[in-house]
Amino acid sequence: MRILGIDLGSREVKIAVMEDKKLIKKMRVSTMSFYRDYCNYDGKVIVDLKKLGITNIHGAISTGYGRNNTDLNKFKAINEIKAHVYGAFYQTKLKDFILLDIGGQDVKVVKVEKGMITDLELNEKCAASCGRYLENMANVLEISLDQMSKYYEKPVSLNSTCAVFSESELIGKIAEGVDVESLCAGVNYSLYKRLQPLLNKFRGRKLILTGGVANNRAIRKYLKNDYDEIISIKETQFNGAIGCCFYGSMMGKLKLEENKCIF
Amino acid sequence: MKKIGLTTTVPVEVLFAAGYQPVDLNNLFIVSKDYMKYIDIAERDGFPKSLCAWIKGIYGACVENGIKEIVGVMEGDCSNTKALIEVLALRGIKVYPFSFPHNHRQEDVEKEVRKFMEIFQVDLEEVEKIRQRLNRIRQLAKKIDTLTYIDYQATGFENHLYQVSCSDFNGNPDHFEVELKSVIKEIKGRNPIKKKIRLGYIGVPPMTADLYTFVQEHHAQFVYNEVQREFAFPRVDEADTIFKQYYDYTYPYDVGYRIKELKKQIERRKLDGIIHYTQAFCYRAVEDIVLKKALDIPILNIEGDKLNILDARTKLRIEAFLDMLKDLKGGIGCVY
Ligand code: SF4
Repeated sequence: MRILGIDLGSREVKIAVMEDKKLIKKMRVSTMSFYRDYCNYDGKVIVDLKKLGITNIHGAISTGYGRNNTDLNKFKAINEIKAHVYGAFYQTKLKDFILLDIGGQDVKVVKVEKGMITDLELNEKCAASCGRYLENMANVLEISLDQMSKYYEKPVSLNSTCAVFSESELIGKIAEGVDVESLCAGVNYSLYKRLQPLLNKFRGRKLILTGGVANNRAIRKYLKNDYDEIISIKETQFNGAIGCCFYGSMMGKLKLEENKCIF
Repeated sequence: MKKIGLTTTVPVEVLFAAGYQPVDLNNLFIVSKDYMKYIDIAERDGFPKSLCAWIKGIYGACVENGIKEIVGVMEGDCSNTKALIEVLALRGIKVYPFSFPHNHRQEDVEKEVRKFMEIFQVDLEEVEKIRQRLNRIRQLAKKIDTLTYIDYQATGFENHLYQVSCSDFNGNPDHFEVELKSVIKEIKGRNPIKKKIRLGYIGVPPMTADLYTFVQEHHAQFVYNEVQREFAFPRVDEADTIFKQYYDYTYPYDVGYRIKELKKQIERRKLDGIIHYTQAFCYRAVEDIVLKKALDIPILNIEGDKLNILDARTKLRIEAFLDMLKDLKGGIGCVY
């Protein structure tokens, strides 16, 4: 049985296909191109699977940023929190953890105990505590995101709580001649510091980090001090899409007739 | 009849026998439109911000309603109550002590109840007579419980309300009995409403009673109210004396004893999940650790503070929890 999962992000759309609970395909498309090149609109968004090169699908689940635009035609929409938690189940096989998802435009923290969501917090309102912030700052520093994420030692202190003011603060530091390593570390550290009040409510032993920022080594390093273990998962960016597939596989088992394609 | 305030359930049989009208200050506080004002009064009199709202509410309700005498529970209830009683005594309110001995030995419970009887100068015969009378009413409360979890005709909130009211029988057992009978009759005429998810409510009664309707809107219903049910003494027919009755009670004693009864009810009522309510600044929040370990069932711990309605964040948490319980029931979950 093949299940398609689509996670509609603010920057990118993540697509995953699972066959008998095995991940067989994954792809990323920019959000712009997804809607422009692969979708039609007829009251609801219709995804052109042929163009995406996806065939023989038994079920499809969607999730994503914002509430209204995730409900694609013929897809079952589930909320993002749930998609991420199911993705974490699939990728870690754990039942007790804290999930921290730092996306391009938002941050989510979820506490899972005995396989159940028992607490959560969303932060959609702050540009200074998500991936976009790192991108902007990397642009100012004229360095790649990947490169910037390597530095964690001797962070220069950036105290502004606002993304816009942080930028001018950073430029000030550049002008003072602070070395690039410290500048990079400072950017990483300032993001971590902004996450801290959010994370304070979510003490626990195991932390799973997902979303684009999960690959930021500096942030992982800082978080290590707060948790016994930072659990690595392979597909940090596809976690939501994978969760959709996994959820759909479980549902499909119950609801879909074998071999009957709904597309 | 002279009014006497209660801070929690105590042997009301003794008080009725002594000709008192017991008033549960918790109920007085929480059903009042002025509930915030009561908290305010306490804070203005020096109670700290960082103290459980129940204590402050009880204080305000006591002072504002001109209650002159109260029963002070020295052991078995929280230590905040002890401090509360001291302040009330300072304000000239007469305090009669009662304790639920922490060791939970039968002879010690008996000693405490006897002491209580002595204070109010009533004998066992009178007390037992009242007890028989009250037990008939307790059976009616029990009926509401079965109408909730077996017949699905009573709502979780009704169950909560009538069980919790057994702490003081609304001050008048005769009236309360009439009310219960008519409520039962009305409930029995209804069509049963069965929701997908069967929930248990554990912990102290909530500040936020809208919890009951909120879960109903999300395909769930409470078919068990732990502490409220204990207030109504559901096993009273097994107790041949008042001493046994107050011995066979879970709420004020240790958590282990409570867990035994919880396990029984989880089984019997086929619960899918539990919402554990705790009050901000209450030591009982720590018991959540024990309960989650001991009980093999999904548990969501929610916390109330001063507000008597659920806040947005708590609603979101409950929604997510119920959503997953529904998945779990449908065979979807973290089983890999
Ligand atoms: S809620 Fe907790 S702190 Fe408040 S009165 Fe009850 S036991 Fe005491």
